[in-house]
Amino acid sequence: MKFKNFQFQFPAALVVVLGFMLLVMPAAAQKAKAKAAPKKPAPAAETGPLPKVTQVDSVQMLALFKRNEENPKPLLVNFWATWCGPCIEEFPDLVEIDKDYKGKIDFITITLDDLEEIETGVPRFLRQQKAEMPTYLLKTADESEAISAVYSEWQGGLPFTIFFDGKGGVAYSKQGKIVLSTMKAEIDKIINPVKK
Amino acid sequence: MKRFSIAVFVLGFVLAASVHASEFYIGSEMENFRLSDINGVERSFTELKGEKGTIVIFLSAQCPVVKQYDKRFNQIVEDYKTKGINVIGLNSNSTESLEWVKSHANENYKFPMLIDKGNVIADKLGATATPEIYFFGSDNKLAYHGAIDNDRSGTNIINTYLRDALNEYLGGSAIKVTKIKAFGCTIKRAK
Repeated sequence: MKFKNFQFQFPAALVVVLGFMLLVMPAAAQKAKAKAAPKKPAPAAETGPLPKVTQVDSVQMLALFKRNEENPKPLLVNFWATWCGPCIEEFPDLVEIDKDYKGKIDFITITLDDLEEIETGVPRFLRQQKAEMPTYLLKTADESEAISAVYSEWQGGLPFTIFFDGKGGVAYSKQGKIVLSTMKAEIDKIINPVKK
Repeated sequence: MKRFSIAVFVLGFVLAASVHASEFYIGSEMENFRLSDINGVERSFTELKGEKGTIVIFLSAQCPVVKQYDKRFNQIVEDYKTKGINVIGLNSNSTESLEWVKSHANENYKFPMLIDKGNVIADKLGATATPEIYFFGSDNKLAYHGAIDNDRSGTNIINTYLRDALNEYLGGSAIKVTKIKAFGCTIKRAK
């Protein structure tokens, strides 16, 4: 009798327990989740003002490279675009270089993005990267001439980084992603030359 | 003696500079090469070249600039096929899997796509970006190198460099612009 009763009561009890679990557990999980992960405000880098990106043609771009009494510091220039995967990958290294060498060198970036990205995609990316380097968007009818004017050896592949010494001579250039330690060593060679 | 030494030095410098600058230039002859295509079949330049000329184009399965040019380039392929110009696609990117290259090529191109493992041909020609064109005449000599046109977005095309070069070559006149650079994606070489 006792056994028979158990046979009847067991499925009923199982249904009650499962029902309880279905009702109570999701609510408890949600409560625990809310407690474990309080709603965070969006990071400042995603909500602050958008950095300004200035459109330049090739003449204006080349003028930025000039080293003279007004601009005597060595200059690092990085050519990139938001559509260029390796450019995006190397950008944190560039931001690090900018922070480490602020005041010792000038550093600008030049994007080859479409003009429609000048107030959207490009500044959003710069803000997200917390990049402070002045950034320009190159728009020119003759890209071939612009590429050759920057550096005769460059075929136009992105990313491209070029480092000018204080007299405007090319001290280092690299098509493709930079290697952070190499880039820093090249900058150090110019700003801290070994005295003979 | 001093003058002679200076002359030898200057000559040596000029020769060294010219060797560096002219590894593959307009007029250089393309030697035959053999590479596997995306289906693993070995193909040769001699087998694939066109009767009137051959476009060798360095491509990438991921590069957005290549994708922007796909439609326009395919039109060029179509327009010049009947005029005796064949096209050979090369992928020299060590970072792109055969699967990606194969699916991009099958979806977009009707010309053979070869895998330049170890970027041997890219090194030989000095190719560094995608898309990058090398047009060889029927004598296998480089006649045009560089961009397809002046505008990757395709919205403001003023100069149709590749078409102009092909038309001039096929018309029997000298190609006016033989080398044009353009922004593109860097070829990711094998380390």
